Amino acid sequence: MLEDPKLDHGAIKAPVEPALYEPALDTGGAPALPLGRSDGLDRHTRRDLRKEEIEIARQFHGGRMWPYAVAAFGCFALWVSFFPLAIMGYLNLPLACLISCVIATGGYVTSHEAMHSNIARKGEKLRWLNEAVGAVSTIPIVFPFSMARIMHLEHHYHCNDPLKDPDYTDEAPNWWMAIYKTWYNRQPGVDGSIHHYKRILSEMGTPEAKRALKETMLLQLFFMAVLFTMSWNGYAIEAALLWWLPRHVGLSYIRFYLSWAPHHPREGKTGRYENTNLFKSKLGHVMSMGMQYHIIHHMYPGIPNHRTKHAYYAMRHILEARGVDVSPLPAVKGN
Amino acid sequence: MENVFKQIFYWMPFLFGIGFIAPLIAQTMNLWHWQAPFGLSNIGFGLIIGGAWGLQTVIRGRWI
Repeated sequence: MLEDPKLDHGAIKAPVEPALYEPALDTGGAPALPLGRSDGLDRHTRRDLRKEEIEIARQFHGGRMWPYAVAAFGCFALWVSFFPLAIMGYLNLPLACLISCVIATGGYVTSHEAMHSNIARKGEKLRWLNEAVGAVSTIPIVFPFSMARIMHLEHHYHCNDPLKDPDYTDEAPNWWMAIYKTWYNRQPGVDGSIHHYKRILSEMGTPEAKRALKETMLLQLFFMAVLFTMSWNGYAIEAALLWWLPRHVGLSYIRFYLSWAPHHPREGKTGRYENTNLFKSKLGHVMSMGMQYHIIHHMYPGIPNHRTKHAYYAMRHILEARGVDVSPLPAVKGN
Repeated sequence: MENVFKQIFYWMPFLFGIGFIAPLIAQTMNLWHWQAPFGLSNIGFGLIIGGAWGLQTVIRGRWI
């Protein structure tokens, strides 16, 4: 005799509660903890690749660093000379403004080498030069070296961590929002850019952090004093075109090319081979300040900026094996 | 001392408005031979715009 299925002996079936792990229900969804993308390699292969990677990287460490010092001091001297020349009326202001923008932006590159002690390490004879290069390079953007170094090293230690990476506030969904955010983050009431850095330094509370905060305050007050003094003495346009505007252009350019472009998208990408992207810059290698190969810098900060491109092509096959998307850049090094 | 610096930085947008924006407006108007409205001097006009703009930035936390 057939049973009436609706009756089922009078019992109404409740949905079955699965056990802690039910293989039949495992659809391979997102894990409970965000895990890095697997490269599908066993640990022996990983170890061999890492050894080869270190061997290659070793060849690109060091090299001639004096051009960074010459560029830093030469550009700083040129920029400072613009002020008396402008006051005396000997300067083509639009051209000087353009050059000041380049100096303000490029200064970060020389300072960046000093942040990683690539010009001279602690205890070396030329250590003073390393510190001096760092100190003068970022004055045009009103960003003291002490703060720049601490924040940049924190960025390296905690790259793409939403709570610990000081540069995480630069994240934006696309390039035009990223450019907008470089400006938005500098607004006085927004916790981004230098305001974010100041808050992090206050929370750190170390002697180095306190010194960095003090130097930041002094440099900002000096910047304002120069702007106000020049302006009320009839040189407001000169002050605007030689310092105020180049500072803003430089900060936006640096934030876009050195922070957003190589690290977007940041969310969940904290692994060694995934926290930095390879990308093809529309403005080319020099104008993007070598940032297309920024992944090499994050893997080996001791490789100077001008050698990261060569290092990338030497270890491209390793990066590809480790799951890095190498497709944005050509397989063969161009000029 | 720390409190003094905190106050200076709190009011900095207003100080920036009268210390930099005001003379910048006046000198740009002079360069282009513009006259301020309502019989105001160019620097007076600059102070009104720069001061008001800086003050609203102190209150809102945004220049625009």
